Amino acid sequence: MEAAVLTHEHGHAVAHAADHTHEHHEPSFIRKYLFSTDHKTIAKQFLTTSMFFLLVGGAFALFIRWQLAYPGEPIPIIGSWLPDSLVSNGAIQPGFYTQLVTMHATVMIFFVIIPMATGAFANFCIPLMIGTDDMAMPIVNMMSFWLVPVAGLTIMAGFFVEGGTAAAGWTNYPPLSASGMGHTLWVIGVFLVGFSSILGGMNYVTTVLNKRAKGMRMFDMPMTVWALFITAILQTLGTPVLAADAVLLFVDQVFHAGIFIPENLLTPNGGLFPNGANVGTGGGGQPVLWQHLFWFYSHPAVYIMILPIMGVVSDVLATFARKPIYGYKAMVFAIMAIAFLGFVVWGHHMFLSGMSPLLGTTFMLSTIVIAVPSSIKIFNWLGTIWRGDIHFTTPNLNALGFISTFVCGGLSGVFMAIGPIDVYIHDTYFIVAHIHYVLFGGALFGIFAGIYYWFPKMFGKMYNESMGKFHFVTTFITFNLCFFPMHMIGVGGHMRRIHDPYVYEFLKPFQPINQFITIFAILLGFAQLILIFNLIWSVKFGRPAPRNPWRANTLEWAAPAHPGHGNFDRDITVYRGPYEFASPESKRDYLPQWIRPAHVEQETVAKH
Amino acid sequence: MFDFSWNMLSYFPPGISTYSEAHDDLFALVYWVSVGIFMLVQIVLVTFIFKYRHRPGHKSYHYHGNNVVEFTWTLAPTILFAGLGLYSDEMWKIMKYSSRIPTPDVEIDVVGQAFNWHARYPGADGILGKRHARYRTATNLFGIDPTDARGKDDIVLTGEFNLPVNKNVVVHLSSVDVLHSYFLPNFRIKQDAVPGSWIDVWFNGTKTGKYELACAELCGSGHYAMRAVLNMQADADFAKWMDAKNAAKKIILDAEAANPKPVEAAAAPAPAAHGEGGHH
Repeated sequence: MEAAVLTHEHGHAVAHAADHTHEHHEPSFIRKYLFSTDHKTIAKQFLTTSMFFLLVGGAFALFIRWQLAYPGEPIPIIGSWLPDSLVSNGAIQPGFYTQLVTMHATVMIFFVIIPMATGAFANFCIPLMIGTDDMAMPIVNMMSFWLVPVAGLTIMAGFFVEGGTAAAGWTNYPPLSASGMGHTLWVIGVFLVGFSSILGGMNYVTTVLNKRAKGMRMFDMPMTVWALFITAILQTLGTPVLAADAVLLFVDQVFHAGIFIPENLLTPNGGLFPNGANVGTGGGGQPVLWQHLFWFYSHPAVYIMILPIMGVVSDVLATFARKPIYGYKAMVFAIMAIAFLGFVVWGHHMFLSGMSPLLGTTFMLSTIVIAVPSSIKIFNWLGTIWRGDIHFTTPNLNALGFISTFVCGGLSGVFMAIGPIDVYIHDTYFIVAHIHYVLFGGALFGIFAGIYYWFPKMFGKMYNESMGKFHFVTTFITFNLCFFPMHMIGVGGHMRRIHDPYVYEFLKPFQPINQFITIFAILLGFAQLILIFNLIWSVKFGRPAPRNPWRANTLEWAAPAHPGHGNFDRDITVYRGPYEFASPESKRDYLPQWIRPAHVEQETVAKH
Repeated sequence: MFDFSWNMLSYFPPGISTYSEAHDDLFALVYWVSVGIFMLVQIVLVTFIFKYRHRPGHKSYHYHGNNVVEFTWTLAPTILFAGLGLYSDEMWKIMKYSSRIPTPDVEIDVVGQAFNWHARYPGADGILGKRHARYRTATNLFGIDPTDARGKDDIVLTGEFNLPVNKNVVVHLSSVDVLHSYFLPNFRIKQDAVPGSWIDVWFNGTKTGKYELACAELCGSGHYAMRAVLNMQADADFAKWMDAKNAAKKIILDAEAANPKPVEAAAAPAPAAHGEGGHH
């Protein structure tokens, strides 16, 4: 008796809405959009900020690609707008190039993928999917967001200081990063954005543990919430180590403490590097210490960027295959295993750092074992769509694209897990191909899937499906044509972060491949404007979204089409797991978590 | 149209060290295993997408999974990947374990300096003199100990180095300023040059010719051009080249012995405590 259910829902809605009008006044513009404590508004703030930085980071990438394909030639149109300190006759100077590679990665990692995955999705999804009104600590949540633009501006300010912005790569290894105003601003910015991550992480953990709807056990949570919960634990445990590392480097930069600076180090002009340890005899710091601390955070950070996305993809696949997740608990345990192993593998970034080769053996084995939980996830996703009823909506296309590209990114990771192979491909384009298959092919396709999937609940409007599909197809094709050939030039020995590869005889034959890559990089970049246009157009002109457009089972779809502050217009009680698709208990092909068993029985009776 | 091949293995530059072939074989093994898994997953994915696409009246199968299947597809990759890791460990030991470095026939010091590579050869006595960071200045990059007589005849070269083929070469690697990475693509060697540490790298080249030495770690704006040439010579040619270098060095040393050097003001950057480091 569907009608009965709906009447019941409606009754609640009216009663609850009436309550609200008594309690709340319409908040001012500033409280509503700028300093809001509503988790959905904060999610949208994270989303728009990250989208802005996506365009910035993408523009940096295109500059880099232009230089690699056509070194010394002026950048079309934009080249003439840039100051002579960055370009000569419109062509990128070597110093500007190293700034570009540094800022491209910094922006994409710290200001796009992490805020998108943990800021936007965690904020939007956690309270709605566990059936509560808001985060456990809304004001902390607001602070978590506002640190991001502050950090972003701090780092970007580097472009306007003497010596330019940070130019030591996103890994910012000292001694190169131990001097210069740009590097100090980088360190401050990363500390602030890390603080945002810690505040967010502890809020998500607290919220998931304490604010779940009545009847919701941990194993009734959707995969997205599980993934975000475990990611939040990673954030709270890992990020303080990065913060400590940043403080140590700051102390080196400003007070010349010499923590990372060995004795009697020379500067590029032949003088002695300012370092407290120079005064005495012997002593001095150790540059490799930075790397240990940095990767102790930054390897788990790789999982901060991909685990939430794995959760999102699981939910999208199950919904559009109309089928329960294959091996739900195995999927949860696989995420836990990846998170745990993530803390004991950082040394594979340091096979060449000069650390003991005995440690290399240990890290090689721990790293390669991560392939196991990753394989479990791939197999379970395939199991999920097996015998499903697959609907090719835009979110699902992106989720399927994610599987396809993530397999490639995961397998290329095996190469660098194996120490003796990593010796050769380390710091080559093979690594660049790998990280883009994981972070673009993996994280970003998953983020696209999530944006399209929750767009109706975020804005109360439907996005444009044709534009969405066009965006996916162009992105998927240009992505692969852009990044796959990088594996090949990587095997050819092509180093990363080099301004002009063609000073090397052995790299000269790769220029045509670099040009090929650049053409598809430009197309890939411009294809993202379709996404931006679609989102903006649909917020304004999209058709109104129904409450549960995807006929999904999780709690966010029990909320009104465009939920206000407080989210739900009725009491939420959870009666079952999140993936009861095609359940024999129900005549429909889905059975939401919040439907009372009594109502389901009525439906079942009706079917017989 | 450019040289394009679908076979990723064909992109390797020619390998010319004793372990380059074993390295490439290991790479090929991982590559073909990966290609196999990749194709398998993509084929299954595309098949499922086609076979289980939505059609009117079609309903999915309500199924939550199977523990036996989960166990199988956990165990299989564990055996495969752990086996691959254990198998690769031998290659790792050959390349990196200090206990596995063969007795050197030739030993040299190499330091990176933004944006050049410098090498120190042992000179006529065949012994590298002592060195320490406290002696390092802009004119004594290796920090050669001025009190050690064995260091007097050491020969320092920049940008182009000669080494003999079919000999075990051990390079003691470091840096004087920032991190660099010593990358010899043809030898399948890469090792970070870390200021403050000396790290041993070894190889045995099997073919004469000129090979490129690149810096693979971002070291500043000139990083891209931090290139040097390694000239691998037949043993006799290398001996001749070395003799010529030693003879040239001897002329300089003899001249210095005849006319003791005036006090140099040029080594000014050295702090007073270590002033002696500037003279040798």
